Amino acid sequence: MPRLLSTALLMRRDPRLLKLPPYLSLLCIVVGVAWLLMLPLDDYSRRTYISENALLPGQVHTYFGGSDQNVFRAYRHEVDALKDKSNTEINDELENIFRGIGLKVGRQNYTYHSAGNTYSGENVYAILQAPRGDATEAIVLVAAWKNVKDEFNRNGLALALALTRYFRRWSLWSKDIILVIPPDSRMGTQAWVDAYHDAHDASRVASLPIKSGALQGAIAVDYPQDGRFESVHVVYDGVNGQLPNLDLINSVVNIASGQMGMGSSLQQMWRHSDKYDDRLKTMLRGMLNQGLGHAAGPHSCFIPYHVDAITLQPVGQGWHDEMGLGRLVEGTFRSLNNLLEHLHQSFFFYLLMHKERFVSIGTYLPSAMLIAANFTIMAIFLWIKSGHVEINSPSKETKSKPATTETSKAVEEKRGAAAERDLLLPLSLVAGCQFLGALPLFIFNHTPSNLLAPIFAIFSLINLTLPPLFSHLLQARRAQDKPITLQHYNLSKSFSLLLLGMFLSSLATLNFSLAFLVGLLATPLSFTRPWPGNAIAQYAYIALLNLVSPTTVIAAGAAAWARYGQGEMGVVQAVTEVLEEAAFGWDVWGMYTPLVIWCVWWPAWLVGSVVVLGQPGTAIKGDTKKKVL
Amino acid sequence: MRSFLSYIIPLFLLSCQVFASDYYEQLNLKPLPHSALLASFDFRSNTSLSQFEAQNFRYFPRSLGQILQHVGTRELHLRFSLGRWDAASWGARPWDGTKEGGTGVELWAWLEADTDEEADHKWLTLTNALSGLFCASLNFIDGTRTTRPVMSFISEGDHPNSTLANMHLLHGILPREVVCTENLTPFLKLLPCKGKAGISSLLDGHKLFDASWQSMAIDIRPVCPSDQECVLEIEQTIDMVLDIERSKRPRDNPIPRPPPGHDLKCNSSKPYHAGDTCFPADSIEGQEWALDQVFGKTMKGTCPLTDPDVPPVCIQAPDSRDVYTSAGVTELKTPSGLSRCYKVPSDSEFSLVLPRMSHEGENAKTNADEMVEPETPLLYAERSFTGHGQERGGVQSILTNPSPDTEVEFIYMETLPWFMRIYLHTLKTRIEGISGFNEDVVKEIYYRPALDRARGTQLELRMRIPPASTVFLTYDFEKSILRYTEYPPDANRGFDVAASVITILPSTAPNAPPARRKTSNLRTTSLLLSLPTPDFSMPYNVIIFTSTAVAVAFGGLYNILVRRFVAADEGPAVAGGLKGKIIAGVSKLAAMFKGAKGKVE
Amino acid sequence: MNHGKMHLQETAGLYATAAALRLALFTLFPALPDLLTGRVEISTPVTSFKRLQEGLFLYNHNVSPYDGGVYHQAPLLLPLFSLLPDPSAYPIFTYVLYIMVDLLSAHALYKIAESGEAASSRLFTSARKDRRWSGYVVAAIFLFNPFTIATCLARPTSVFTTCAILHAVAKAIYGTPFTAMLSLSFAAYLSMYPILLLPPLVLLAYDRQHASNRILSLLQFAGTNVAAASVSLGALFAVSYLLTGSWEFMSSTYGIQLTLNDLTPNVGLWWYFFIEMFDSFRSFFLGVFWLHLSSYVGGLSIRIRSQPLAVVTLLLGIFGIFKPYPSVSDASLFFAMLPLFRHVFPLMRYSFLTASVVLYSTFLGPAFYHLWIYYGSGNANFFYAITLVWSLGLSLLVSDMTFAVLRDEWEVERPEMVGKEIRQI
Repeated sequence: MPRLLSTALLMRRDPRLLKLPPYLSLLCIVVGVAWLLMLPLDDYSRRTYISENALLPGQVHTYFGGSDQNVFRAYRHEVDALKDKSNTEINDELENIFRGIGLKVGRQNYTYHSAGNTYSGENVYAILQAPRGDATEAIVLVAAWKNVKDEFNRNGLALALALTRYFRRWSLWSKDIILVIPPDSRMGTQAWVDAYHDAHDASRVASLPIKSGALQGAIAVDYPQDGRFESVHVVYDGVNGQLPNLDLINSVVNIASGQMGMGSSLQQMWRHSDKYDDRLKTMLRGMLNQGLGHAAGPHSCFIPYHVDAITLQPVGQGWHDEMGLGRLVEGTFRSLNNLLEHLHQSFFFYLLMHKERFVSIGTYLPSAMLIAANFTIMAIFLWIKSGHVEINSPSKETKSKPATTETSKAVEEKRGAAAERDLLLPLSLVAGCQFLGALPLFIFNHTPSNLLAPIFAIFSLINLTLPPLFSHLLQARRAQDKPITLQHYNLSKSFSLLLLGMFLSSLATLNFSLAFLVGLLATPLSFTRPWPGNAIAQYAYIALLNLVSPTTVIAAGAAAWARYGQGEMGVVQAVTEVLEEAAFGWDVWGMYTPLVIWCVWWPAWLVGSVVVLGQPGTAIKGDTKKKVL
Repeated sequence: MRSFLSYIIPLFLLSCQVFASDYYEQLNLKPLPHSALLASFDFRSNTSLSQFEAQNFRYFPRSLGQILQHVGTRELHLRFSLGRWDAASWGARPWDGTKEGGTGVELWAWLEADTDEEADHKWLTLTNALSGLFCASLNFIDGTRTTRPVMSFISEGDHPNSTLANMHLLHGILPREVVCTENLTPFLKLLPCKGKAGISSLLDGHKLFDASWQSMAIDIRPVCPSDQECVLEIEQTIDMVLDIERSKRPRDNPIPRPPPGHDLKCNSSKPYHAGDTCFPADSIEGQEWALDQVFGKTMKGTCPLTDPDVPPVCIQAPDSRDVYTSAGVTELKTPSGLSRCYKVPSDSEFSLVLPRMSHEGENAKTNADEMVEPETPLLYAERSFTGHGQERGGVQSILTNPSPDTEVEFIYMETLPWFMRIYLHTLKTRIEGISGFNEDVVKEIYYRPALDRARGTQLELRMRIPPASTVFLTYDFEKSILRYTEYPPDANRGFDVAASVITILPSTAPNAPPARRKTSNLRTTSLLLSLPTPDFSMPYNVIIFTSTAVAVAFGGLYNILVRRFVAADEGPAVAGGLKGKIIAGVSKLAAMFKGAKGKVE
Repeated sequence: MNHGKMHLQETAGLYATAAALRLALFTLFPALPDLLTGRVEISTPVTSFKRLQEGLFLYNHNVSPYDGGVYHQAPLLLPLFSLLPDPSAYPIFTYVLYIMVDLLSAHALYKIAESGEAASSRLFTSARKDRRWSGYVVAAIFLFNPFTIATCLARPTSVFTTCAILHAVAKAIYGTPFTAMLSLSFAAYLSMYPILLLPPLVLLAYDRQHASNRILSLLQFAGTNVAAASVSLGALFAVSYLLTGSWEFMSSTYGIQLTLNDLTPNVGLWWYFFIEMFDSFRSFFLGVFWLHLSSYVGGLSIRIRSQPLAVVTLLLGIFGIFKPYPSVSDASLFFAMLPLFRHVFPLMRYSFLTASVVLYSTFLGPAFYHLWIYYGSGNANFFYAITLVWSLGLSLLVSDMTFAVLRDEWEVERPEMVGKEIRQI
């Protein structure tokens, strides 16, 4: 192996090759993006298929309906009667109904604090013990009192109650069925599932009084709209961009379209012509949701615990009634009930671009990896360049001549000195910036929500002034003894890009979309260099960098959301809500998107800007070297 | 016909007077809340030890008897169980839980052997023979699943002191075994009447294994009454909790389709009650049921071999509950007024009908009139895993003593598979519901750590829980990863962990009620342990990759070690051919870089 | 002797800061030690602190810790730790103990560096010998290496082995062979593989004998030292026997390293290989792997006879890759020895490559492990691939350093070749 490597690595010293890397990394970026855009084409995406044979979706008759509709209506009356009651009263009533059906009931209190607000509530849940079963496995049915948009989920609740009562009549369940009714969709399920796995902070979240076996899957029903519906919208994004097993989505889609004859849609693409643009749009929306990594529905909190979960939302005006959705859930539960093993066959890493088309990790990962690779390439290139930086320094002839005449010993020593890299300053600069990243992270996670917007504004201003400040400080500090050489800048950039590439490539395996988006926005960083003479270029590039700085991107995103998102709101309010959501995710869901932005992206951006503003003292390199000697 | 009768009757009389006391059977019915019905069948027959030694089996099943003699089994207990007993609503367990096992198959026996090795060998023979006899994979009870309980199991039989010295108790359990019809058939074959007559004629696989909870037990123990000679007693019991609504469904149409709207039992008191809106009320009103409905067949007379003095069928219902029986049946009520028994003519079919009792209108009945309130058990036990992920986890057992005034002392026994590495130093107990209680609830610990691939963990705790309090018992464990050949075909389902056995010790208090004077048992549910799994599809790839890595490292290093250095231009001329070209190219490039480097000076 | 005092003074500040840093980490993040103890990259079945506690618990409750599948560590650790108060109640004592051990190792390293043995031994003096870092720097690099700090926080028993090995080397260099043998046998007693360091260490001790009582015949010297080592090892075994009352600790402590019963994942190559191994070939490949591990000793000791310290360093690197239960702490030991050879750094060809490979795998390893074990979305191959990369990176570093050392030797023979392109035939 060393032999091969020596062949490969000796080439790196070829001066002609030394010109190549910038173009190479540019190529990486272009190919990476192009790769992503190619994915929706038929040749690169695949049709979905069920790989877990035990699921047998749509192979069973579903009997929910008939007189169960009368029961459903009755339950809906009960639910309506509770609409304006307090959380506790609601749970008391629900508990009565559950006990009437003959279930084991438990309740759980929780309180969360985030961005100065306090969120609290009480979950109620009921366990339908599988007849002949042994509390080893369980399936979860979630019907939140309010959905993510704070709409009253009245039909969903009534349906869940009617279904549970219907399920109790069957003797074929091999797994317990747990019906969870959290008061809201954002933290109730989180508290519940945390406590179920004893990963909860006992001071904020109460433990569960009764438990069942290992959770095998979870379906959340979100049915606020009245009347009949046309198709069901399958929400599958989990916290931190984790996804449920593809088999689960496939079976639901399969049952819905194959057995019930109802349409199904993804990522709010109500009308999906299975063409390139729609596929691309679906994929990009999916990537955006994944990259943000927030909880898209009550199901999201299950996924980090390796419990595959989705939310079903009836949408549109059609001829399917509540019983239809009930049969869909019944069919899905029968499929999950068939499972012998935990879902593991199919994909966990995929991008869906149509309910029946997807790309798997092997196909899409290269695009993110290429983006990450471009940083690494630049890092290696700069390292090598800094290795014999003096070649391109003007004073090289004056140096090389005596060298040839001197004795080997002297050459030896000089050489040692010339190959010397002054690592201290670059390392401390990069490390300092990295640690500095903890500051905004802390600030934005501990500011009360009403102050978020002003603090953000202040921070953005500081962010503008930081790079000039830093580079000025550097110049000042090093002016007297050693000026800052080009090598210092190259090395700092090299290290920061190395770190960036490393973080992004690790992140790409955890949350592909986030890595891709951050990588894309950070691409200008790989082409930063000091322009000692050329002030225009310098300021142009600084302007560009400021356009893609984290703060600008956040503000722009918030503005876009305010403009096109649901509900009318001003940009300020939008910024507040975005930051609030981020803090909430950080505190409640353990969402690490803020960490990535402030501790991975921002430091790299900072170093990049400092490099651009750098004024390397090339004129006095001569005595620099004498000093080093 | 006449001749037939004249032939059969004397025989019957004969059998009655001679062996009457040697066999009897009884069915106990007990309605439970939520329209459940507990039916416990009890068949007991015994044979004198001398007869047994002489291989002279009468009611004692020969197939079993010979096995016992062959391996020198002094006492044997075999359990087939399915489902879980819902103590919260059904109360205390039948037979104080002494006749039930953990989910799956459980077996423990006292073997007579001089050494442990001999005992193990005999145990192996026993399990293999029994697995053949009962169509259960008992032969999978190997060394890793066998334990020798120290405190938990107490011998029920009377053993002469001579044998007591070298009797070995061995215990094994198969949580994964699914009990089904193929286990019932051999079970019935052991009965004198073979399920043809008497209460055993009610037993039907479909109903039995559709029950919410069922447990089949075989106990064989020597009993020495004070005055006469010792007898070997075999007792077979079947306990099942039937969901009346479910078991009333006809076999040809078992699917619980929604009933027609007008059949729904609605709560008409609701304001919105209407033809198309119905708040279900069936859970409030009890079910009406008949014996032949719930069991799917009628009881064909009595077993002619049974003791005529013992009424074959009893039902625990208050006298206020009206019960209709078929003609010719004599009813015997107990003075307590809470249960009654029926003597059945030997040849007539027997049936039993309990009509629904209306809870409305005049002479409305309450639940108290309808069924006997189930008494609260001595202890509630619940066990579950904590934590997630496939690296490590914890076990939490919640033990509750419901009684307001008396404390309960018991032995908690865990038998865990070896690949569940428990850390005993993390064993903690936390007590709730009682304040200022500072003594340790764990009185005594017996612990035998697991040995990889050799034996499982055995943990026995003697605990005492003060009245009206709950104890949380927790400990951590580590999930070890196995060789890929050691995983079952459905590796990602996980591994079943056997139920923990709780033996409640008889109270020593002088004024203790009779219920507390005898030992009673309790078992938690079993658990599903998911282990980390390797990729089963690529042993070859892994072997190849790793070997390559090793070879590359080794070759690279020795390549450097054994060759000697020469300058690029020295040494033998570069050979022609591809290799030569490559080397030439390498040295050319090298020269360039060195040139570049040379300029530096 | 005032020499010792002198450098103690100048290093006191360094040691103080290192200790302060560790104490701060221990006390400010109380959850951190247990978190790290649970990491498979740091704690292996034969060094884990949690398993040590379990063994201790059983030992204190008169259950033989070796009659079980959890505890696989040397018996003498039990009385040592049962002297300390219960770690869960008073962790501070354990912390202090481990910090002290780290400082001792650093001190040994300091002495090794100060001796200058690395660059100029009895038989060889490098042309670059004045390109060296002072012991102060070397010790600092060891003490502030994140791997070392993580190891110290996770409290595996491998730190004792590290300390013993470093002291063995230091003693050998300072011409007290028997003490060296004693501490080497202690290292070997703790975790078996250091016994393979015996040959180079004997050579090292032989080269560095005091002029006063030097034994000229290498054979005689080796004989006496090997005898010394085996005697002390035997003594340790005897003590352990008396302690546990049976020999079963042998099979449980050293047998598991030979048979690899416990397949818990780690950064090494063995675990997944023997998970996927066919049962019929298991024992064969176990033999092959052990043979491979020991095959380097002879080759290196003979080829680099003139620089025994280099041989020791290279062997430590190899052990860190190919021993049955390697962990980050073994790598940290190797990284601690590397700075001694700063004079050959310019001759190393792949320094940046190896550095970035090691960094990448350091970040990707935990991520992939998490994907496999907790998210369940990746499978075992993810983590296995990373351990493969990690091992390849380290082995590349080892062979690169071997090359550098040899070339350094060669350039002394032929000074005119300095900086020229060479090849190996």
